[in-house]
Amino acid sequence: MREMIVTELTQAFQQMVRTVAHYLPRLVVMLVIAFVGWVIAYLLKLLARSILRLTNFSRLSENAGATRLLNRAALPSSTELVSRLVFWVAWVGFILLGISVLGIAGLQEYISRFFLFLPRLFVALIILFFGFLAASFFARAALLAAVNANFRSSRLLSISIRIIISIFALSMVLEVLGVAEETMLIAFGTAFGAVMLGLALAFGLGGKDLAREFLENKLATGKKEEKEDELSPL
Amino acid sequence: MPLKREPGWYKDAIIYQVHVRSFFDSNGDGIGDFQGLAQRLDYVQELGVNAIWLMPFFPSPLRDDGYDISDYTSVHPIYGTLEDFKAFLSSAHERGLRVIIEMVANHTSDQHAWFQESRSSQDNPKRDWYVWSDTDTKYRGTRIIFLDSEMSNWAWDPISKSYYWHRFFSHQPDLNYDNPAVREEMWNVMKFWLELGVDGFRLDAVPYLIEREGTNCENLPETHGVIKELRRKVDEHFPGTMLLAEANQWPADLRPYFGEGDEFHMAFHFPLMPRMFMGLRLEDRKPITEILQQTPDIPSNCQWCLFLRNHDELTLEMVTDMERDYMYDIYATDKAMRLNLGIRRRLAPLLDNDRRRIELMNGMLMSLPGTPIIYYGDEIGMGDNVHLGDRNGVRTPMQWSAGWNGGFSTADPEALYSPPILNPVYGYPAVNVLSQKRTEHSLLSWMKHIMAIRRSTPVFGSGSIEFLHPANHRVLAYVRQLGKEMILVVNNLSSAAQAVELDLKRYKGNILIEMFGKNIFPRIGDLPYLLTMGPYQFFWFRLRRI
Amino acid sequence: MAGETLLTDDFLRQLINVGEVDILVGLPTHNNAKTIDTVVRAIQAGILKCFPRERAAIINADGGSQDGTPELVMKASIDDVWNASKVYTLRTLHSISTQYGRSPEPGTALQTILAAADLLRAKACVVVSPHATAIEPDWLQRLARPVYRDNFDLVAPIYSRQRSEGVLMRGLLYPMTRAIYGYRIREPYASEFAISGRLATDFLSNGIWQEEWGRIGPELSLMVTAITGNYRVCQAFLGTKAPPGRGASDLVGAMRRTVGALFASLDSHYPQWSAITGSQPVPTLGTPAEIRSETARMSRKQLREMFVAGIAQLEPVFRSILSDSTLAELQKIAALPVPEFCYPAELWARTVFEFGAAYHKSVINRDHIVQALVPLYRGRTLSFLQETRDGSWEDLEKNVESLCCEFERLKPYLLQVWANGK
Repeated sequence: MREMIVTELTQAFQQMVRTVAHYLPRLVVMLVIAFVGWVIAYLLKLLARSILRLTNFSRLSENAGATRLLNRAALPSSTELVSRLVFWVAWVGFILLGISVLGIAGLQEYISRFFLFLPRLFVALIILFFGFLAASFFARAALLAAVNANFRSSRLLSISIRIIISIFALSMVLEVLGVAEETMLIAFGTAFGAVMLGLALAFGLGGKDLAREFLENKLATGKKEEKEDELSPL
Repeated sequence: MPLKREPGWYKDAIIYQVHVRSFFDSNGDGIGDFQGLAQRLDYVQELGVNAIWLMPFFPSPLRDDGYDISDYTSVHPIYGTLEDFKAFLSSAHERGLRVIIEMVANHTSDQHAWFQESRSSQDNPKRDWYVWSDTDTKYRGTRIIFLDSEMSNWAWDPISKSYYWHRFFSHQPDLNYDNPAVREEMWNVMKFWLELGVDGFRLDAVPYLIEREGTNCENLPETHGVIKELRRKVDEHFPGTMLLAEANQWPADLRPYFGEGDEFHMAFHFPLMPRMFMGLRLEDRKPITEILQQTPDIPSNCQWCLFLRNHDELTLEMVTDMERDYMYDIYATDKAMRLNLGIRRRLAPLLDNDRRRIELMNGMLMSLPGTPIIYYGDEIGMGDNVHLGDRNGVRTPMQWSAGWNGGFSTADPEALYSPPILNPVYGYPAVNVLSQKRTEHSLLSWMKHIMAIRRSTPVFGSGSIEFLHPANHRVLAYVRQLGKEMILVVNNLSSAAQAVELDLKRYKGNILIEMFGKNIFPRIGDLPYLLTMGPYQFFWFRLRRI
Repeated sequence: MAGETLLTDDFLRQLINVGEVDILVGLPTHNNAKTIDTVVRAIQAGILKCFPRERAAIINADGGSQDGTPELVMKASIDDVWNASKVYTLRTLHSISTQYGRSPEPGTALQTILAAADLLRAKACVVVSPHATAIEPDWLQRLARPVYRDNFDLVAPIYSRQRSEGVLMRGLLYPMTRAIYGYRIREPYASEFAISGRLATDFLSNGIWQEEWGRIGPELSLMVTAITGNYRVCQAFLGTKAPPGRGASDLVGAMRRTVGALFASLDSHYPQWSAITGSQPVPTLGTPAEIRSETARMSRKQLREMFVAGIAQLEPVFRSILSDSTLAELQKIAALPVPEFCYPAELWARTVFEFGAAYHKSVINRDHIVQALVPLYRGRTLSFLQETRDGSWEDLEKNVESLCCEFERLKPYLLQVWANGK
């Protein structure tokens, strides 16, 4: 009996050693990958920061109104935020790569799904960013045009346009991410009319004069006779 | 011996205008004469002309270069005798050269026997041969032609104590054509010369023959009556004689001088000439085409006479004030060049001695509808002397060689009737017939060549003209046509190279054959015909359909 | 590169036919059939009266008219076939037209005219507005002669105006151009002017045609090029400026063409204007025309309303552009009723300079910066009208002069905000 137990123990111990011997190198590789990934991610973060600074990304984000939002949320600047995002995405990517080396079944699938998800995440972030940028731009454009056309509710118009375009951008983001697709579909359908207005305004601002004329003719409240007295400023 | 008188010979003629006094002196007295002229007829014949127009050679006090005549049926002794003239005439006819002489019909010299008689008393039979008046107020409003020297058209005669009418110099009293005797006598004079064998007359100053109160005394219907009568007689007794009118008038006023083919055969197109010079400097065909478009059609047996220069000043009577100012500013910067509403310069100095411009102007002269006249000396590019009085600057001796007196005369230079041109540019050492005869590409050689080309076809003389109006206004283009024969003429009036597109759709299918070099140019198709032309270049293209 | 495709084959062919000219008159048009006949006749009369011997041509650059404007221009041709006006001329006068695009664009129109002037080696190029119905034949002489005979490179116009006309010119463009570039040109934005062939050629090869403001505001760019380059500039009294056409009271459009172009010029010409202090007079030719009587009014109440609304509703925009102190002062002014309304010259100059600096830094979209200036300009207009309402013409000139001096005095402030930011 004692010999059986010793034999079993020895076998179990040997099994364990074999398992450890089987996985240890991979663990080492994983750690190495994680370490190298950290270094690379850090370098990418520095690179991203330099590129963003060079391209004046902070100005762009200020135009987008993102800076203001971040300030309010006591978050770091957009340049810093993006650089950190780059760092984390890169490092997580490397860690997952390392884990995949371990060869643990079942994990592979989740890891590959993560990597498949990454491009969509980037696209979504870009859409979000430019969506806010566009919202800010067109809102300001509409505000200026309305103010100069003596339209009473200029602020309201501007805010409406900002919201509509933001919603449009958000819904596109969520669709890209594949989050609550059906809900978004319904909500989008409801908001479709508002989006059309945003598009029309986008066109109008692309043909700025026409839109301005349209606003002046249609929205200016009743001071037309005095307008005719207004002499050429040149 | 007269040349056979062919009707319409003048339509294909090229006329050489020459003054016997200026051409060649045979007897060493410093004045050209008929014997000299006869000796030089070979040169005239080689030139390629087929008619000579002689300036006045009748006896005269020569106060207006022979246009003040004191005897209508003789030759001034300084030019020779009547026999000399006959010999010259015969010699010319032998060479196929017709001779046209001046008939100064409007006025005579105050030294003429007729005037001497007329002024002698109020009862003299010839009293009425001139236009007399007790006052100088008749025919008020009539313009004065020699503005630089005359203040009035009336002159006081101290002998007959009355005024006589003169449209020109005061020593040239006007004949009274209301008097049938005057008309009869002038016919006798013409008959005299026609019997000798002359081929035609240039009638000087014809618009002024008749005066009437309340008119401008020009171009009156009665004047035309006189002319018709003259023409009738000429046709009856000497058919084939050519009558050429000197009438400095607008085209519309010139038209009546052709009548219905029963007055003059030819008339000078005075208004065209200054416009050719204007168009050249403006680099714009507008003045030329407009005047020709305003030119009325003339009877088929009639012909315009075209010229670039002549013995008179380049007249600027028939232009607007703006045009006259322009011409003065451009062509007569020195006021000494201006005379009597005109410019007294020769062709070459007017064109800055620019060979290309001289060729272009002669090219237009030879290709526009009409009979061209070459003024003696212009074929070699003679210069002028504006410091000689009146119009004598353009009547200097012909330059035959670089030798003694330019080969004109063996007399002492001081004895010449006029000093020759001596400056280094136009003087006879530089510009003369002998030098140019030796050079293949001289102006003289070129003139002979172009005249030969002109003579090679009757289209230029007798054909119709249709102007093309290319959008490039610097190019003057027209098509001359006679029957099936067509010639396209394109002239670049600009000092710079030009590209021009011609609408030749009507002539589609024709090949262009350049008439100087006889090379073929592309066929006319549907597209506008593109020509590129050098400065002052011109083309004559024969259109051929093969 | 754009110049190579600027001229159509057909237009080029027409230019070949015109050939070298001495005087070229350029007419940019777009649907001007109502006024163009008067303008073209005056130009033709001017050429025939003042330059009868010179080679002249009228070049129409049309932006896609649908009402037959080009055909009306071409009727001014006089040649041996066509002479609609039956006038006598010494020379052929070509009047040709080209369509440069399907919609009007001032930059392309001017570029086309300059290209024609360059190719035809025009000694003088006169540009005339199709709205200039008050034009007289003599204008051509007053504009072209200094260039053609006296070797000037640019002749700017001076019009006689009503008190309330041209306030943008008097109140902003003239003082600012004067302070910045050091030349007292009364009308830096000109719709009628003359330039020499030399300046036309140089300006044509300038790179501004690719830029937005070069296409929208070429006239002002041309003026700036002339006064900052080695060119002789003068101004000439013309006469009355024509009543505005449709859309002329479009203030935002006018601001874009003028103020936008002026702000944009500051970037490229910084080395020159930053070194200039004070200003010098420009040779002025001719005699001033009589002052026009006032025939129109402007609604002061509306001006104030638009100013106040602008201050209130554009506050977030102004925060990006103006300094806090300037904005605060403007907000105080917005509270004043019409009779007490006053937008001082010093504050206006400061406002404009801060806008210029903001434009330079592109704190927001540049076109938005220009648009944002509009309500403030209206406020300044109101103040100007109040200040000069009862005064004489001399008083008005004094007012403008003191405004100009204020701009000049504050130029160092512009340099400061330009470099440092708010």
